[in-house]
Amino acid sequence: VSAAGLDPRVTGALRYAHDAERPGMLHAALVRSPHAHARVREIDASAVPEGCVVLLGEDVAGDGAYGCQVKDERVLADVARHVGDVVAAVAAPTREQARAAVRAVRVEWEELPAVFDPVEAVAAGAPLLHEAPARSARETVSIDVRPIPGSNVCHRFRIRYGDAATAMAAADVVVEEVFRTPSAAHAPMEPHAALAEWEDGRLTLWTATQTPFNVRADLAGCFGMAEEDVRIVAPPMGGSFGAKTFVRLEAVAAALARKAGRPVKLVLDRAEEFVTLNRHPAVMRIRIGARRDGTLVAKELDCWVDTGAYADCGPGVATKLGYAGVGPYRIPHVRVDSLAVYTNLPPNGAYRGYGATQSVWASERAMDMLAAKLGMSPLELRRMNLLRDGDAFATGEVMHDVHFEECLQAAADAVGYEDDPAGKGLCVLLKGMQTPSRAQIAVERTPIGYVVRCASTEMGQGVRRSLRLMAAEALGCEPGQVEVPDPDTDSSPFDTRTTSSRSTHMMGRALEAAVADLRDGDGERGVGEVFNDGGLDPDTGQGVASSHWHQGAAAAHVTVDEETGVLTVEHLHASVYAGRVVNRPGAELQNEGSMIMGLGAALLESILFADGQVTNANLSDYNVPAAGDLPKRLTHDLIEREGAEVHGLGETALPPVPAAIGNALQSLGLHVTELPITPELVLEAVDRR
Amino acid sequence: MAPSDVEEALALRAEHGDEATVLAGGTFLGILMNQGFLRPSAFLSLGRVTALKGIEVAGGELRLGAMTTHRDVERSEAVRAGWPVLARAFGLVASPRVRNQATVGGVLADADYASDPPAVLAALGARAVLRSPSGEREVAMDELILGYYETCIEPDELLVEVVVPPSPDRATYRKFRSRSSEDRPCVAVAATRDGPAVRVVVGAVSEVPQSFPDLCAQAGATLDAQAARAIAAGYAERIEPMSDARGSAAYRRRVTQVEVRRALEELM
Repeated sequence: VSAAGLDPRVTGALRYAHDAERPGMLHAALVRSPHAHARVREIDASAVPEGCVVLLGEDVAGDGAYGCQVKDERVLADVARHVGDVVAAVAAPTREQARAAVRAVRVEWEELPAVFDPVEAVAAGAPLLHEAPARSARETVSIDVRPIPGSNVCHRFRIRYGDAATAMAAADVVVEEVFRTPSAAHAPMEPHAALAEWEDGRLTLWTATQTPFNVRADLAGCFGMAEEDVRIVAPPMGGSFGAKTFVRLEAVAAALARKAGRPVKLVLDRAEEFVTLNRHPAVMRIRIGARRDGTLVAKELDCWVDTGAYADCGPGVATKLGYAGVGPYRIPHVRVDSLAVYTNLPPNGAYRGYGATQSVWASERAMDMLAAKLGMSPLELRRMNLLRDGDAFATGEVMHDVHFEECLQAAADAVGYEDDPAGKGLCVLLKGMQTPSRAQIAVERTPIGYVVRCASTEMGQGVRRSLRLMAAEALGCEPGQVEVPDPDTDSSPFDTRTTSSRSTHMMGRALEAAVADLRDGDGERGVGEVFNDGGLDPDTGQGVASSHWHQGAAAAHVTVDEETGVLTVEHLHASVYAGRVVNRPGAELQNEGSMIMGLGAALLESILFADGQVTNANLSDYNVPAAGDLPKRLTHDLIEREGAEVHGLGETALPPVPAAIGNALQSLGLHVTELPITPELVLEAVDRR
Repeated sequence: MAPSDVEEALALRAEHGDEATVLAGGTFLGILMNQGFLRPSAFLSLGRVTALKGIEVAGGELRLGAMTTHRDVERSEAVRAGWPVLARAFGLVASPRVRNQATVGGVLADADYASDPPAVLAALGARAVLRSPSGEREVAMDELILGYYETCIEPDELLVEVVVPPSPDRATYRKFRSRSSEDRPCVAVAATRDGPAVRVVVGAVSEVPQSFPDLCAQAGATLDAQAARAIAAGYAERIEPMSDARGSAAYRRRVTQVEVRRALEELM
């Protein structure tokens, strides 16, 4: 962290996408559906004042569909599939005029039956959201979707490892439970913002995105253009947490700019953020079987992952949620069935943790239930079953560079678990990184130092600083001599995207290769590339889930007011395997930020709906953790090993927090299965005990 | 409309009535407007009426101007010295940013059931001063707040001041939150003890603050553990709690019983 007063984020000098401006630009506002499911019969925009540009269905009839994993979304919807779905748009000289013009647009609707629960949405007779079955979007994100035709399932991921049913039937002890997690908001300070401009048939977008190359490919497909004719510039973001991934505002901003013949800027307000992209609500039914001595023999996991009105990356989330729910254990027989399901809620997508938060809540709570049933220490039960170097995971891949036990032990020690486990809970986590993926980077010499060009986007996580530090070390110069410009698909080499805590690990190694290339060559320019290969067979879950595993654990110590159910977190600790720390203050902030976000998931955060309408779409009614909500003690470790590879750590400390707290309650005999853990739920658990 | 003195503000209020939305700190209106629930055609802003801002002690009573911010009340030496429970209750509202903006008059006039000040002001026997061009009247809190977001303020009146009588011997305010520390209360209990008289007001559980003086009177002159339990049980039975995102009616009833008892225990 730079000296106070000099950080451009503090002085206001940093220009976000929200600040982008172009000469002659117009401002956009969106006409959104008030219904959860309704066909647009007619739109009357005759009352819109002159000087405004209105984008209607006929203007985008020639455009294709978009979607990062399933092409199921259009620039404007002719059938609104969630409250807030965009059916028309207006551009005007000012934002206020655009918003007033939107209110002058009259839409005639034909309401359709709607469904809001992923389990109900797969039942026979549920209203269907999309008539055509989902099909993989090949060019952007390599996931082979397996829709169930004629249903709302856009992808089902399976793991078939051993024979879980038979092994379960033979187990000495079996625990079964259903766990639920709600929708949650990313709540970055900066809302979504995009500015589109057309010039000579080329489209340029300045947009808040973690995924510049994915947005480029998807827009090119949507507008029938060559990818090279779309340019994405990605200024730093005022937070994202997964919210600013894939095509969000870019398609509608571009279509409006095309019609207006002028640049168009679109910035959402806070309420709109709640209907743009949220965390997947999920239902997980889990069965786990063990021998009397605690050896795990089988696990079965059924997941219903609510991806909302459009698939977005729901198939990928259902996949990662599915295998993360197996947990970092040696289990010889595993069955997972994880469904990404359409419902009439706003779309759900990437959210820091990427499905792990949901399934780790279920799987690690079940471990403590099993320990209780076996009369074993939850720590000992985990220890005896944890994956170690050379063990096979349920995907069949052999695990290397394994540090689960160190993470778990460090977390347990931090709260004095072995001295007195009362009121204390543990959780250990395995989380995959985007696989396969590719990262390219270029290093160019300048008169005063070097410029590093890559598409790793800055969202407050500090990737620029990490790249600058790594480049300075490799090049033997001062960090101040290394310039890292905003990602720009015209000049930055290709990168899959800035997600899944992969940039320091992947781009960092690409950078080493680029510096070597520069040294071997003319000393003026070097390029580096790394890719990780793999992927899972969606029908069996066999293959390589992740080339690199994020490993961590959390421990919580709680006390409970048993008259009111109020839970106080006395101490929360996370231990994250870092391998080698590149940017220590940044890494520490990632851990602390992840833990605090995990605390929000555990205790506070839930988007509430009434008939598909968000009822707490503001930061007064939707509670994110405030300073006063922090645990009395918040501590963490960054576990390092001499000569180790750099590990990603942007999310690892988040998913284990809810289960650590839930298991701390379990140690007091209080059984909770739902998030967030409200005082009312705790009091119900007190009553049941 | 942004008048700069009280007379001008009253004249504009009388002229426009409910056609113009009275704007004080804007923390409540801001949320409603940002979400599109409210789109006023005109505002009567009191932000420039400096005469409505101020804290004064006169004749043993505390007088809070309607435009005094929560933060001012929280930090006032006079309030801290004479009415510490009031300073504490205003200091528990939301966050410093909100308290720097939200006003004494605003929080009463918006009559949001889930606010901290109404219960504590009611327990202290405070009166709101309502003024119109034709005169002035004082109303107690239970006369002022009539229901959800509903007050007795007439379309030609402005709430200009809140008067708090001399502090009772003992007073406490317990804000029970079920979510974030910066959230509105799920159950708000204000209790006072002045000589033999005990008063308990429960806020945030139903549309207006709840008070059952007969329950406190029945408990008798000595406030002991048994009396506290009896009063608490009586309140829990009598209130008609509502359900919202902060808690179900059944949960509020249970918490009311606990929190009323704890409040009274603090006064023993």
